Formats: sequence, C-alpha cells, structure tokens
Amino acid sequence: MSSEPIERRVSYLGDRLKASRCRICGKEYFEARDYCGNCGRKSFGKMVSIDLFYDKGKLELCTLVKEPTNKFMKLGSYVYGIVSFHNGQIRVPGRLTDQIVHDGDAVDFSRFEGRDVIPRFRRRYSVGKSEVVPTISLAFTLADEYYPHQEYRVVEPSKEYDVPGIVGYGVYASRFRIREGNFERSVPFIDEDAVTAAVEAGKLALIHSGVDSSLVGKVYVGSESNPYAVKPIASKVAQVLKLGEEDEDVQGVDAVDTEFACKAASSMFKDAVSLVNYSKSGVNYAMVIGTDNSQAAPRGCPGGELDLFVGYGGSAFIFGKYDVIAEIEGWYSCTSDTPDFWRRDGELFPMHGGRFTGDPAYFKHIKKATTKLMEKLNLQASDVDYFVTHQPNPQFPVKVAKQLGFKDEQYAASLQINKFGNTYSGCSPIGLAALLDIAKPEERVLITSYGSGAGSDAYLLRTTNQLVDKRQRQKINVKFQAENPFVKYVDYTTYRRLKLGM
Amino acid sequence: MKNRPAIVAVGRTRFGEHYGKEPEKLIEKAWLAASNECDIERKDLEACYLSDCFLPITNKLGLEEGFLSELTELHVPMEVTRSVNAALLAACHAIQAGAYSTVLVGGIEKMTDRWDKIRDDLMLLDDPWSYYAGGTPETNHELMLRAYIKKYGIKGENLDKLNVALAQVSVKNHANATKNEYAQFQRKITVDQVLSARKAAQKPLGLYDFAPISDGASALILTNETLAKKTNAQPVYVLGCSSATDYLNFPARDDLTHFTATKLATKNALKMAGITPWDLQIVEVYDQSTVMEMVSLEDLGFCEPGTAWKSINESCQDYQGYYEINGGQLFVNMNGGLKADGNPLGATGGAQLFEIFKQLRGEAGERQVKNGQASPQFGCALELEGFGTKAYVSILGRE
Repeated sequence: MSSEPIERRVSYLGDRLKASRCRICGKEYFEARDYCGNCGRKSFGKMVSIDLFYDKGKLELCTLVKEPTNKFMKLGSYVYGIVSFHNGQIRVPGRLTDQIVHDGDAVDFSRFEGRDVIPRFRRRYSVGKSEVVPTISLAFTLADEYYPHQEYRVVEPSKEYDVPGIVGYGVYASRFRIREGNFERSVPFIDEDAVTAAVEAGKLALIHSGVDSSLVGKVYVGSESNPYAVKPIASKVAQVLKLGEEDEDVQGVDAVDTEFACKAASSMFKDAVSLVNYSKSGVNYAMVIGTDNSQAAPRGCPGGELDLFVGYGGSAFIFGKYDVIAEIEGWYSCTSDTPDFWRRDGELFPMHGGRFTGDPAYFKHIKKATTKLMEKLNLQASDVDYFVTHQPNPQFPVKVAKQLGFKDEQYAASLQINKFGNTYSGCSPIGLAALLDIAKPEERVLITSYGSGAGSDAYLLRTTNQLVDKRQRQKINVKFQAENPFVKYVDYTTYRRLKLGM
Repeated sequence: MKNRPAIVAVGRTRFGEHYGKEPEKLIEKAWLAASNECDIERKDLEACYLSDCFLPITNKLGLEEGFLSELTELHVPMEVTRSVNAALLAACHAIQAGAYSTVLVGGIEKMTDRWDKIRDDLMLLDDPWSYYAGGTPETNHELMLRAYIKKYGIKGENLDKLNVALAQVSVKNHANATKNEYAQFQRKITVDQVLSARKAAQKPLGLYDFAPISDGASALILTNETLAKKTNAQPVYVLGCSSATDYLNFPARDDLTHFTATKLATKNALKMAGITPWDLQIVEVYDQSTVMEMVSLEDLGFCEPGTAWKSINESCQDYQGYYEINGGQLFVNMNGGLKADGNPLGATGGAQLFEIFKQLRGEAGERQVKNGQASPQFGCALELEGFGTKAYVSILGRE
C-alpha cells in the first residue's frame, strides 16, 4: 500500500525529474534541494530549480533485470541502468522502456551503453486496483529510435490575430502496433495508459507551439479510459507539464476532464477558443487533449467486435490569439440521447448497439452538424479543402464523407484509422493533425467529430501563414509516427497483455 | 584504543531457513551458547545492544528491546541497531566511557518469514529511487561491476580472467563453508557452475554470485579489559572500531566502482588499532556478491584499485586456503562468507566476529588458519548496511 503523501512527493519530483543547481559553484543535484553540499550555509536561497523533463541523458551503464521485484513483475525482463545528464553532473537510476526482451534474447549491454536516452513519463509499477496509480519519468527510450529528442524552446509571439484558433498541436502514438492484413493499430507499452498519452501529446504540443507553459490557463482532457472513475487526468497533465504559473507546488491553471465518448476532446475546442477570446478570462492559452487507451472486450466476448478497431494514442491542441496557425471560423453542435455505445460504471469494457450504431447514430449526427455548419456559413462541399471526421472503422468515415459530397482528395489524408486504429477521444483530432501537417496557408478544413450517446461538433478552420513556419519545430508528427522504421509489431496475445497494463 | 573492550564469548545459530522457529528461539540459542562459554549469567548483564535490520517489517515486531527484555527477564538499558558491528561500536563506546562493564551484543534476522516480499523490501530500504526506477537487490552489484570493467579498461583475456576470479570467490567461499557446521550451504561448487548460472541468467552475475536470504542469530559478550583479564584466559580485544556513511542513492555517488564508506572506516579503525593492513592475517568481508568481495579487498587497502581480480585469480589457480597478495597471505571469509555461511542481515556481523574470535583463539577447528606456528594475532570484520551506505570496520586482536 503506497501512502498518499509519499506518492505525492515522489511523483512531484519524479514525474518532472526535478533537479537543482547551486548558483555559487554550479554543482547539480537530482531532486529539489535547499542548499549545496559544497558551499554549505552560504548557498541557502542560492539554489535554482532545474528539471530534466525535456533534456537528453546518456545511458552510462546497464544490466538486465530478469527477476524484477514484485511490483515490476508485469514488465517481464528489461534493461536497467544508470543515466547521466549534463556530462555526468547528475546521475539517476533508470529503466529502458518500449523494449520487449524475450526469454532467451541475448542482450549486449555495450550496444546500449553510451547511447543518448530521453526521459519518458510512464507508470512506475503495479499497484492494487484501489490504489493511486504511481508514475515516474525514470523510464527512458533510446534517442536514436522511435522517439527522437526535441528541445522545448519558448518563442515570443510575433502576431496577434482577431480570430482565435489553434497555435500548436501534438499527436502521440506508441511505438507498438498490431497488424492484421493492411490494418495497423497502435498498442500501448505495458507502462502506458490514457494519462501518459495525454502528457506526451501535451508535451509535443508545447514543443510545436513554442508557448510558455506558464501562460496556459486552462487544460481540458477528454477521455473514456481514465484509469480512475474519480480523479482527473488533467491535474496530472497540469502538474507534469507545469501549466500555469507554479507557486510552491501548485499550478495556476484550471484543469478539468470531460467525457462524451469519442467527442470528449473535440467538444471543448469551442470552449477553449471562447475562453481565450474573452478578455476578462486572463487565459492566454487553453489546451485541449483527447486521449484514450481505447477499451474493447476480447474477441468472442460480448462487445468484442470493437477489438478489431481499437487503438491507443492522444492528441493535444493549444488555442490562443497569438501566432495562430488555423483560425476557427465557426462551429455547430448537435446532440440527441441515443445510446449506441456505452460503458456502465465499474464495467471494464464498453457495449454497443450493433447495427444501430450506424444510421441513427454516427451518420445522422455527423451529417446534421456538418450540413448545419455549412448552411450557417453558406458553404458548399467544394468550398473547403479538407474534410475530417470520426473514424470508428475504415468504412464509416469514407461513406459519410461521400454522402456529404466530399471527394476522395478532400478526406483521404485525414484517414489515420488504418495506422493507429480508433483512438476514441483522440481519433478525429489525430485526423485533423494529419491534415494540418500537410495543409497550405489559407486553406479551409472542416472537422466533424462524433461521440456516442450521441452528438457531433463541426468546426470550420482556416489555416494561416504561420502554419508552415511552425511545422519544422515538430519532428514527431503524424506521418513520422505512422511510418516510423522503429515501430515494433506484436501478436494478438501480446497486444491484449500490453493493453491491460501494469 | 584506551580501556580496551574485550570479547569474552561468542555464540551463534546455524544460518539458513528456520521455518519453524520464532525469532526469540534463535536469539536464545545464540545467547545461551555465548553465556555457557564464559560463565556469565543473564543477571550479570548491565546493558544489551541488539541488532536487526528489519525485524519490524518481516515479523511485525516494533519495539525489539521489549522483546529482548521479555526473553531475558531483564530491565537494563537496551538499544537496537541495524547491524552487529554497529551494536558493537555502540557497546564499545559505552564500555570505554565506563558506563558498563559487561554487555550483551546480539543480532537476529528472520528473512524467510517474508520471503515473498523480501526483495522489494531490501531494495526499497537500500535505495528507494533505484527501486522506483526498476532496480532489484542485484542490479547495483552488476552496475558496479560494469563500472569497474570500464574504469580500469579490462578487456579480452583479462575480462575472462576477472569473470573467472569472481567465480573463484564463490567457489572458495563454498569450500570454506564445508568446514563450518553453522553455514547455510555446506557443499562445494565449481567455477563451471558459477559461470553457467551467469550464462543462464544472461547477466554479468548469476545465482552463485549472490549471498542468499537467511534466518539466524548471533551473540557475543563484551566486557572491559580488567574484568576480561580476571575472568577469561584468552580475551579478544576490540582494537579499532569505526564506521562511515555514503549516499542512499547509488547512481548519485561520486565513485561507482568502490565503497567510499569502507575506505573511510578502514582508515580510522586502523589508526585506532595502531596497525597497518599488512598486520591483519584474517578478514571477514561483506560479500553480498562476489563483486563486493573483490572491491572490498581494494577498499580495505590490500590491493591497488583495479587489481584485486588479478590477485584472486592467481591465488585460486592452486588455492592454498588464502589469497596471496604482495607476497603475503590473507585469509578471507574462512567461515564461507555471506555467500555460503548465509546472510541474515542483522545477525551476519555476529558470524563474522564469531569467526575472527575463534580464529584468534585457535579454536576454529578444521578452519583454523596459522600465522607461523601460532594462531593469527589480528583480524578484521567489514560489515556493510544497504549497498555500502554504511560501512563498519572492527579490528580484533589478542595479546
């Protein structure tokens, strides 16, 4: 049983890898410290807080763990060692994650030693079902593999826009995939979940936007696979990404979770732009994250049909009025009480209404929201450059796009279901990100999300010149992750085990 | 050392798996053995220093002093430490200060009572951040070995020799334990067995490189010099006793290849005793792993840093019962060390002191080592707590 105060302190230091540096002699320490051992009393008040969250370390030494302690048992075998930062000034213990070491695999330690590694925010170890989920960033991945190192550079904004919109975004899909035919889906590593994907996506969005995290005054996290029934994901995101001004160990940010099946995140786009547009809110930037370790019963069980399409991943969009890359020109939302897909409290997996998830649910709401928005803005299908919608399977989005009069070239680039699967709350936003990755300035993008239960939000976006300028800041974009040569494919049994988590 | 404290009797249980025995039965046995040896009664004791590393965790015993009070039916001052050498250090200070003339120093551990969670406990107590990152009780030893190999640029043939030398440490300790009736493992092993266990584990160190978990107890009776001379024919004096401390977090330490705490404690203890390492003929080092035995030979000052594996390897080609270092003979872990004698943390140091006491008095039976015609004059015990977070060095000597 982990104790809550210890859990809070370890997470506070370990999630962000907080460290400190003496301003007198320059000595660095892992963990926050009030004084320097070299300089003694005179260093009180002269320690500056630094952190290693966006840093790059070096794996100095390593060995193999084949018989972990009880709490790490579900990880199986893994490489463990000592990671140094800042030319050996700071040394921390760490585990290599995103690596499956099979029994009998020969592990050549010298192949890993000396390589650059990146701290990754992950679950720390297994605990009982009723306990707080422990996390830490003492998990590392190799910088020259799936996830390269990217610096987080805060950029002074150069231009204020009249119409608020997206100022940056990030998409995160794990390194692991299951491939069935031509259909690939993203699979979490065993220490990943909806919370870790939310943090990853948010981190990538901050890197892309160049926005100072302390100016983000609001964060919404939409998910239907939060490991907790009660306790927000958003609070973790706020603390790990240091959103809002930090005062002692409290972040000056409003953080809230939202839920509406697969539109939990996209619903909040309009709330985010409204908030940053309201001069008295004091909120410069608002972040919206959609994240899911999409749940599905195993094949052959009730609800098991979903298991063919579920993926894992997250997306994060930052909204504001400065250095906008896509202005939000308008939206339309619609809702009806249609129980086409649901998960009762306490149940592990969702159920769905079979053939009734189609016409009276998915198609009806998406078409309603899209046509209403087009009417409102006096648009024809041919007036927009790109269309993206929710992708629960490979067929539905194509069918609905055609019914709405969109042509293949308008929606084809948005279809990410074949690469990552249905990432639920992250799904249509990932499609939007894929379009923003390739769109030119002054293009119009129409996104219509869908959430079971049921409802849709349609938005019209217009890209700006700054879209292209910011693009080079993001190496880890949608295509990079979809076509990454370091992707590892797993079989169905491994996929189910990884998805279940630690 | 002024007012030299003297050990007048020692006792211990066999180390191993005492499933059926309660902790009190073990310490009772060790105490009785010591008390019979020197004819000191329970009521002669003026204070007790008991050591256990984590009895409150393994056996849910909070106030161990109360437990000892019940057992001895004594109400004298009692203190608890985490290792026998720590208890000895405290007891020595009290005797030197003239506070007491006769005290009991004991140690006890019952690790198998929590066998299913013991590795988590050990690692969490050793180094919490390493535990949180996925470390096990074995990983720090393996990382220290990798650091050692890199620092001293050991490659090719030399690397093979180093690996064999570490295997020989284990083989030697197992062989010594066959002559020790109290040892947990009283059987010989071969270098091939050690090497193939490593191969099976695909790791730098394998099953035979590590000390086991054990149950056991040990006790000794400490008096002042005057009383010892009056009542005992062959008292063994504590000539030097010192400790030092290092960081909990191993990766954060300045030196990843050696134990700074051992070096500091050794320096102080030798100074107190007024001798050099070369005056010691027998040492009991803390071989929680074979790497620890190798590194400790360097930390104690017997070998130059980065060279102990050569001395071990050469000595073990045709093992004569001792390591030959710089032309001298050094008897190391004659009881089988932690590897084969067993390692019930809080009692382990008692077994080390037991061995040196017996060897100095010439009472070690089959294991007896010789210094010319006589038994050795000086011996030393090195005990560590955690992964070298604390080091205790006790130097014993006879007249």
